[in-house]
Amino acid sequence: MPVPWTAALATITFWLGALIGLRGLYGLLRAWMEPQLRSGLSGSAVMLGVGTAALLASAALFPTAGIGLPLVWPVLPIQLWMATVCGICVVNGLVGMLLKKGFSNPLTILYWLVAGVVCFLLPRANPVPFKLLSGHIMLGVPGALALAGLAVLAVLCMSYAEKSAKSSSLLKGMAIQLALLAGTLVFGLPFLFLLVTSFKEDKDMSSPNGIIWVPRVEQTAPVMNPNHPYYEAKYKGIKVQADLEQVRPDGTLSLRIAHPLFFGGFTFIIPRDQAKEIPRQMPLVTADLRGQKVEGVVFEEMPDGSQDVELRSPAAVKGQRHLFPPKATEKVRPVSLRWKNYFEALEYLPPEAQYGWTYLRNTLWLVVMNVLGALVSCSLVAYAFARLRFPGREALFKVMLSTMMLPAAVTLLPQFLIFRQFGWIDTLKPMWVTSWFAAAFNVFMLRQFFQQVPYELEDAAKIDGCTYLRSLWSVMLPQVKPALAVIAIMTFLGAWNNFMGPLVYSSSPETLPISYAVQLFNGDRNGDPGLLMAFVTMSLVPVIALFAFAQRFFIEGAALSGFGGR
Amino acid sequence: MRAISRVWVAVACTIAAVCHAQSPKPLTVWGLASGPDSKGLEAVIAEFERRNPDLRIKSTKMGSGDMNPQKLMTAIVGNVPPDVIAQDRFALSDWASRGAFRPLDDLIARDHDKDPLCPKPDQYYPAAWQETQYEGKTYGIPTGADDRILYWNRGIFRRHADELRKAGLDPERAPRTWTELLAYGKILTERDKRGNMTVAGFIPNFGNSWLYLYSFQMNASFMSADGKKCTLYSPQAEEALKFMVKGYEQLGGYDEAQKFQSGFLANENDAFIVGKVAMKIDGDWIMMSLSRYAPDLDFGVAPPPVPDDRYNKKGAFANEKDTFVTWIGGFSYAIPAGAKNVEGAWRFIKFFTSTEARLIEARAQANYERSRGRVHIPRIQGQREANAAYLKEFTPKNPNFAAALAMHVKLADVGRIRPPTMVGQTLWSEHVKALETACKLEKSPKDALLISQAAVQRDLDAHLRYETLKPFDFRPPAAVIIGLLVLLAIWSVWKFKSLKLGRLERQEAKWGYLLISPWLIGFMVFTFGPMMASLLMSFTQYNALSEARAVGFGNYAEMLSGDRESVLKAFGNVFYLTGIGVPLGIVTGLAVALLLNQAFKGIRVYRTIFYMPSIVPAIASAVLWSWVLSGDPNKGLVNSLWQNTLTPWLGVSPPGWFTVADWAKPSLIMMGVWGAGGGMILWLAGLKGVPAQLYEAAHIDGANGWQQFWKVTLPMLSPIVFFNCVTGLISAVQEFDRIWVFMGADTGLAGPSDSLLTPVVHLFQQGFRFFKLGYASALAWVVFFVILALTLIQWRLKDRWVYVEADK
Repeated sequence: MPVPWTAALATITFWLGALIGLRGLYGLLRAWMEPQLRSGLSGSAVMLGVGTAALLASAALFPTAGIGLPLVWPVLPIQLWMATVCGICVVNGLVGMLLKKGFSNPLTILYWLVAGVVCFLLPRANPVPFKLLSGHIMLGVPGALALAGLAVLAVLCMSYAEKSAKSSSLLKGMAIQLALLAGTLVFGLPFLFLLVTSFKEDKDMSSPNGIIWVPRVEQTAPVMNPNHPYYEAKYKGIKVQADLEQVRPDGTLSLRIAHPLFFGGFTFIIPRDQAKEIPRQMPLVTADLRGQKVEGVVFEEMPDGSQDVELRSPAAVKGQRHLFPPKATEKVRPVSLRWKNYFEALEYLPPEAQYGWTYLRNTLWLVVMNVLGALVSCSLVAYAFARLRFPGREALFKVMLSTMMLPAAVTLLPQFLIFRQFGWIDTLKPMWVTSWFAAAFNVFMLRQFFQQVPYELEDAAKIDGCTYLRSLWSVMLPQVKPALAVIAIMTFLGAWNNFMGPLVYSSSPETLPISYAVQLFNGDRNGDPGLLMAFVTMSLVPVIALFAFAQRFFIEGAALSGFGGR
Repeated sequence: MRAISRVWVAVACTIAAVCHAQSPKPLTVWGLASGPDSKGLEAVIAEFERRNPDLRIKSTKMGSGDMNPQKLMTAIVGNVPPDVIAQDRFALSDWASRGAFRPLDDLIARDHDKDPLCPKPDQYYPAAWQETQYEGKTYGIPTGADDRILYWNRGIFRRHADELRKAGLDPERAPRTWTELLAYGKILTERDKRGNMTVAGFIPNFGNSWLYLYSFQMNASFMSADGKKCTLYSPQAEEALKFMVKGYEQLGGYDEAQKFQSGFLANENDAFIVGKVAMKIDGDWIMMSLSRYAPDLDFGVAPPPVPDDRYNKKGAFANEKDTFVTWIGGFSYAIPAGAKNVEGAWRFIKFFTSTEARLIEARAQANYERSRGRVHIPRIQGQREANAAYLKEFTPKNPNFAAALAMHVKLADVGRIRPPTMVGQTLWSEHVKALETACKLEKSPKDALLISQAAVQRDLDAHLRYETLKPFDFRPPAAVIIGLLVLLAIWSVWKFKSLKLGRLERQEAKWGYLLISPWLIGFMVFTFGPMMASLLMSFTQYNALSEARAVGFGNYAEMLSGDRESVLKAFGNVFYLTGIGVPLGIVTGLAVALLLNQAFKGIRVYRTIFYMPSIVPAIASAVLWSWVLSGDPNKGLVNSLWQNTLTPWLGVSPPGWFTVADWAKPSLIMMGVWGAGGGMILWLAGLKGVPAQLYEAAHIDGANGWQQFWKVTLPMLSPIVFFNCVTGLISAVQEFDRIWVFMGADTGLAGPSDSLLTPVVHLFQQGFRFFKLGYASALAWVVFFVILALTLIQWRLKDRWVYVEADK
């Protein structure tokens, strides 16, 4: 949609005007608060005037009902954005050059040249037209007043905060808290989305009027309906709930499984005495019965969509049955959490997964073995590198440090071939055995901690006749507990999140850890956001719980390794 | 003693024998579409287990869909293959050429006269059987024969009856030629006031046609007759692709269509059922979901429209026998090489492909559907007898469905197949690539096809070249390396001896070596050894199943010539991701840290909240963000907000994020920024380390807060900035987990048109999807050197702009 340049001009005028005006107001306020700044008063007054004039001028360009804030929105492809940034750099550099008379540093010239060339070449290399889109933010009078009030208030806060900056006043604290809260909202929103989605019903997943943030759940009540009996029985050793499909001539029952969902729809045949009839959960509904609002439970859904409802309230009609035509009833859906998503997510897993228990067990096993291996091997190796003198120590240590630069990708394929030779494909071993051979970074970190332990402590132990292992165990390790905790936690996270390992090595549900199961679940059940989000939440809970209990070590670990900076 | 142990052995043997006799052996089958509604399959499995009490079917589904070649290849190479795999036929020859499947001819010959269930070639459609052949051997037994026909929604046609008539088109019949198809499609496309598509008349690649169908209609063949030349590009194929491009152009472009499609749902909300698409070309599988979810839908079927000349029998088609042709595909059962239970697997295949089993399946499924008030429509089989029996027994009463079933069976006779070739997988992936780039107007159809053809040809040449190459002898270089190691060891021992250490020192040294031995052994076995192996492998062509052959520097040359585009793309993506992602991450982390550094209340709570995203596992966060950034404004968090704010204000409709190539990388960056709040821990530590007297001095000099930040804080923090840049760059090169979530399941592309490809993803694909271990190793070394170089350059540049305290 092409935009007349007047609109673009008006937009710039408007927003610049607003900015200048606010800056002027700010100057005025500051001058009023601190008498020694009075000299700036006239300038601020002029700015305020100019700003207001520009505002009025731009508003005149837009003869709209109410007050429309004009907006022009350049839609640039990424190359043009980059070119723009480089262009700004060049202009900035030129201005700096004019003001500071000449170049101070030859390197700076190079930067500008590069920036200039990029600025020139990028749009050339990929000529893409850019578009201007325009629109208004329409405001009624109260909205406009509120916005103006908010701006003035913000300026007031800013000038007051500036005035009392040195005394770290309450207002400044509040401003920071406000900013932090806003940040929290942005960072926390995806989590909230995750949680809320995991508790929503399917029909609330999609809505044209914005995300539904309040989960509602259909209420149900147990109903025994002799026309449609519901059974509990065992299928392949698993307890299932099933509908009756037919009573066979020989007296056995043919049942169609409803739960667990993985078997949903399968039918099987079972002697009558092995199936127990149980009530079925049916939805609660409200409806209008002869001008009176009644509530009841659906007794039976008829094929034509009408519902046979057993009324519950008010008391006068309690126990009666009434047939409502299709769409005459409304389901009772109070605000509530749908915990069922969590159970159903687990029910959808294949039977080998034992409702996810197998995945959890595999992951726990990996975590335990990895953490143990890392702790044992790293403390031994680090201790030797820190305290024992042996020829070649420095050279070997350098070799070890250099392996830190080696990307895992280089050894990925040969390691696969090695583990194949061992016959370890489709087992968990490839994912933990390597951690028993001391990772370089951990050794490096632990060695530094060991070096800080005073020699006297160890000497005393030696005089008592301790062996090296003994002194490592009873003297050194207690001194570096925080470092060990950091290693343990980082290894834990690495093992819990390891994805490429199972992707390569796991070929059956029995050897799947959670991380890979999440991805498979995503592929299988992408159409069920509720279940998917529930599954993701469950996969996160242990990590978050560990974080809650051992926050200190996480943060120390991050500070030590820079791991958080991805 | 001896007697007792004998008794023990006897007891153990008995127990083992009893256990063995009682518990049937599991027969692992991959790729069966077992699930909630596969009643028929369940019935066949039950019947099979009844007839074969010694076997128990263990049906496993690894990965989404059955086209997960990476998993299968890993399992075969790792010696843990399934016993039977349901494999898409078109890739059979690809697998067979690598020796991944077992030929079945000996089994067929053995049972041909003995077992009535034994499959015989003449029972099958020639096209279906031909697809299982590779170099004269049979590698699979066909199951389904899914052919494509045109489905059209009569309701939408009627809605536009007047317009159609005005354009000289009959609203009561389907288009028959391409020109007609486009003309109908244009008229049937509907848009709302904002210009957003609400109904698409015809999306060329929606449903299941790809380029193959249109090319078959043009009589294009993708491989030469001897299978040694790829002919993906031909004037005919170009014509077909041009037609698809035109189809997308009249919808407003490929991305527009893609965004429209990203809001499509499955089952009862299927786009065709709810009338979002007026016409589509699709396979026989959709009859089932149509009958299940929309039994009353008023639709028609027709053979897929053909090029005008073909319909009019003009020009190149003057002597053409078949006016209409279709593309026929489907699955087959195959036995992977190294399967543990071949006999059981063969019994499974024989039974499952027999007409008897087909009828058991169809009847059970029909019973089940009937019990739910639905009509069962069987799938078309590759075996004629089964189809004939189906038509007799299961022709639906509803005339629309009856017509559809009859049309599918009828067209199976004029089915064309994808050529059996050893590069089927590559041909498929490359054809998808060509189709996408051309439809997005990034390249002309001819160029796109030529580029993809070259890629397939390279792969093909590499396969053909294999025979002529000399085996790569690992022994001499390995001997040299081991020799050097031995020399080093001898020298160390000699050196150690010559040091003349005292008894205590000697003991300390011994302990030292003992204690570092875990690392030393691990280094040798899991780092140094693999590194050397990888170096040697990078000079070979090797697929882990057949022996390695020497190619010299061929793999490295390949990177610069044939595969250059992908390699450049991968590194280009890395620079995009780091160039924008790392600074954004730094700014975010620093901003949070600066705020937290000033706050005096609630710092712990805030720190927890900002830190939390960074401990969320990459996979989980990618899955979460694929919903947060869902293209559908009714579902995605961001697009929902956008739709209700920016769209009415600015008239900008929300982007498709991960579904659109241009937006995929920004989406990934946004996701990264969310996790970058964790970086503030580093910044906080850094901020605490800035000496207070510097601020005091600055304050005395009259610097305001802003100046203090630029002149004091930032220079003092520059080591952390530097650190972040290095690690950011290195981790972007190795970015893998998050991208895997956005991997196209059937295209094998990392994000739309490989827009998220990173070097390590590319390496993984080459190594574990195509099992080109040699080439992947070469890539690994390039990745290694790039990382090394980047790190070194960064270290060199470091002194230029990193503030280091003078006394250090």
